[in-house]
Amino acid sequence: MAEYRIDCLGEACPVPLLKTQKEMEKLKVGDILIVEIDHSCAMKNVPEWARKMGYNVEIEEVDDGQWEVYIEKTR
Amino acid sequence: MKFQEHPLFKKIIKDAWSYWTGAILLAVLNIALFAFSGHPWGITTPFSYWGAWIFKALGGQPETWAYFQNPSHANALTQNVFTNGGSIQNIGIILGALLATLLASQFKIKKIKSYKQVIAAILGGLLMGYGARIAFGCNIGAYFSGIASMSLHGWLWAVFALIGAWIGSKLLVKYFM
Amino acid sequence: METVKKSKKKRANQFPYGVALLVVLIVIGIILSKQSPQLAVRWAFGIAFGFVLQKARFCFTASFRDPVLTGSTSLTRAVIVALMIATIGFAAIQYSAYLKGETVPGNISPVGIHTAIGAVMFGIGMVIAGGCASGTLMRVGEGYMMLWLTLIFFIVGSLWGARDFGWWNEVFISKSPKVFLPDVLGWGVAFFGQLVLLGLIFIFVEWYEYKRFNAKN
Repeated sequence: MAEYRIDCLGEACPVPLLKTQKEMEKLKVGDILIVEIDHSCAMKNVPEWARKMGYNVEIEEVDDGQWEVYIEKTR
Repeated sequence: MKFQEHPLFKKIIKDAWSYWTGAILLAVLNIALFAFSGHPWGITTPFSYWGAWIFKALGGQPETWAYFQNPSHANALTQNVFTNGGSIQNIGIILGALLATLLASQFKIKKIKSYKQVIAAILGGLLMGYGARIAFGCNIGAYFSGIASMSLHGWLWAVFALIGAWIGSKLLVKYFM
Repeated sequence: METVKKSKKKRANQFPYGVALLVVLIVIGIILSKQSPQLAVRWAFGIAFGFVLQKARFCFTASFRDPVLTGSTSLTRAVIVALMIATIGFAAIQYSAYLKGETVPGNISPVGIHTAIGAVMFGIGMVIAGGCASGTLMRVGEGYMMLWLTLIFFIVGSLWGARDFGWWNEVFISKSPKVFLPDVLGWGVAFFGQLVLLGLIFIFVEWYEYKRFNAKN
């Protein structure tokens, strides 16, 4: 049950989602990945992808225009 | 600020709308603009005017180019940002987006992160600018408005933009990530 | 969509700035309308387009890029829906002009090799720059400095393209026809055919996404 974090601040689409996809592949079931983003479009497409994959997702708005997306690898 | 906790405020002002909501509203806006002005939505033609105005101010003579022999382009050369409808509309897009982010309390200046982003921005901007001129439009003028106008060029544009996007994706993963 | 949690951290509230900007935008609109009502309406349309693009995070670039890169087709499908609705509205405007015997309005441009070359260039550019024309303008408004740079070079590229336009015109464009589909196929076949084709593409990309996501697991 480890927690990992990737920094995608300042990255434009589709880089945050590509980095997330790559990172999630390395994780074990039960691990959590926290993606830091400040791109409003990625704040929508990263959680959307994760939900399509069947993962648990939570979004926290940590600052103005900045979010942390928590993705739990469920399978 | 109690009203900012109101569910309706959250739904309309704070949270993102669905893609479908966006699709329906953009289509309706495009139809309304077409009905009102006689021309569907386009974005990149005013960019060539902005460039030409600056070039002229620097001492260039764009009016001698074939492009500016077209009556509506020639007319635009005599205008400025505040009298050209397309330019006003483009500035409106920037400020409309700013308005939406501010009302949602999500505005943030995002600095350039690396030299790779600088190269990508310069190269991407040049390719889009040049490409849109010779192909008669961008994602909006050729793809959205072109196909909706039932023009064959819109369909051909979409097929080749997809090929371009495929090449661009390979380049992005290899060099710009 | 699930709810977005707010952090406990005390943050600046930008809402008042938004309201102030709205007031400024309205005042400019009023000034413009005194100059020319046409300009004021274009101003209002621009603001509405920008607002909707940002709120919906609508991205035409992603409609081409995501199927290739991430396998997601939600924006592709959304664009197809927009195209279907716009086709219906546009056709009504065009057909009424046709019935009156006027030239049919719309974005109908010469189609040829220049279309293909320009579109490929545009397709590459929008993916590496992270936004097309509408996306660039919207992200400029969101405070994305990378796209401020993109916009500057977008303008340079446009000027460059305008300078070379004479050559392209001579070699390709002047020899290419403008093809308005109803002229070739008839109004009924062109209109309904286009809607059916868009519908088929919609079904295809939905199936494509299903396949991509299920092949991975």
